[in-house]
Amino acid sequence: MSGRVIVITSGKGGVGKTTASANIGVALASTGVSVALVDMDIGLRNLDILMGLENRVVYNLVDVVEERCKLRQALVKDKKLPNLSLLPAAQTRDKSAVNAEQMKALCNELKSMYDFVLVDSPAGIEQGFQNAVAGADEAIVITTPEMSAVRDADRIIGLLEARKDEIKEYRLVLNRYRPTMVANNDMMSVDDVLEILSVKLLGVVPEDEDIIISTNKGEPISGTDNIRAGLAYRNIARRIRGEDVAIMDLESKNTTWINKIVSFFNPTVRV
Amino acid sequence: MQLQLFSWIFPPKTDDVRATAKDRMRSMLTHDRLELPAGRLETLEEELMAVVGRYFELDKDTTHFDLQQYERRASLIANFRLLRSKC
Repeated sequence: MSGRVIVITSGKGGVGKTTASANIGVALASTGVSVALVDMDIGLRNLDILMGLENRVVYNLVDVVEERCKLRQALVKDKKLPNLSLLPAAQTRDKSAVNAEQMKALCNELKSMYDFVLVDSPAGIEQGFQNAVAGADEAIVITTPEMSAVRDADRIIGLLEARKDEIKEYRLVLNRYRPTMVANNDMMSVDDVLEILSVKLLGVVPEDEDIIISTNKGEPISGTDNIRAGLAYRNIARRIRGEDVAIMDLESKNTTWINKIVSFFNPTVRV
Repeated sequence: MQLQLFSWIFPPKTDDVRATAKDRMRSMLTHDRLELPAGRLETLEEELMAVVGRYFELDKDTTHFDLQQYERRASLIANFRLLRSKC
């Protein structure tokens, strides 16, 4: 088997990179393929919490690289999906604990075991990022529609372009999208961001309080039905697998109180 | 009908923050990608005007400089309005 190694990256911190990694991992695994999630944020381990697996971590990525354990021993199986595993980051080391060559070797080994290897990259553009992309064939760039996040995403795209030989494809996920603000001309739209970055779109995830709730429960939202952000992640997973899925219509749903009242009395009216 | 009523109660804003953000973003990224320091383009503009001005009389009010982006590549568009040549 030779799986696809996809690095999930953003440049700026706090745009929802780790949440996206967890959700895309769960959504992909739910389609039936085998998935390994790799937390490359060494020293700032978080992916285990989002997956609700923090109590099951015994070994970590640095233990594997330094040969204190076998790769299979360090992989933590998901609670619900047997075809999804997490390779946790070390919490007590820093980004220099692993180098690019070691990361490449690790990705190659994981590729032979799984259909998809998703690498959660640390924020920034320094060594930690360079290591995270070292073994990747493709990239997903996460940004929000805020100016500072878009600027940092542009830096990342520049760095990915420079690695054209290894990174065959990169696509954008626009996170924390607020259709009501866009409708009020208070924020850049999906098309604005795509035009400015000249990049292909993989998906749009609406801002959703349920994301915080799901994080607190340790259950990624993409496993939950009837939540818009969850559906957005499931659509992203299908697009990664090559399906042609239309971007959902976010603009038509307004959430101000007056619109809620109107749609309560007359659900067919869309304001 | 309802739509009209709502836009009457809540008039649409005239302040287009979205367009401002987009314009600032575009200009910022053009400079970022070229690693172009602020003010550098203005210096170039002045120097180019001086060179072309040695050969032609220029209509300085309609002369136009612009950096445009296409597929992450920038082009410098300079448009000189010429009045007559200088002998």
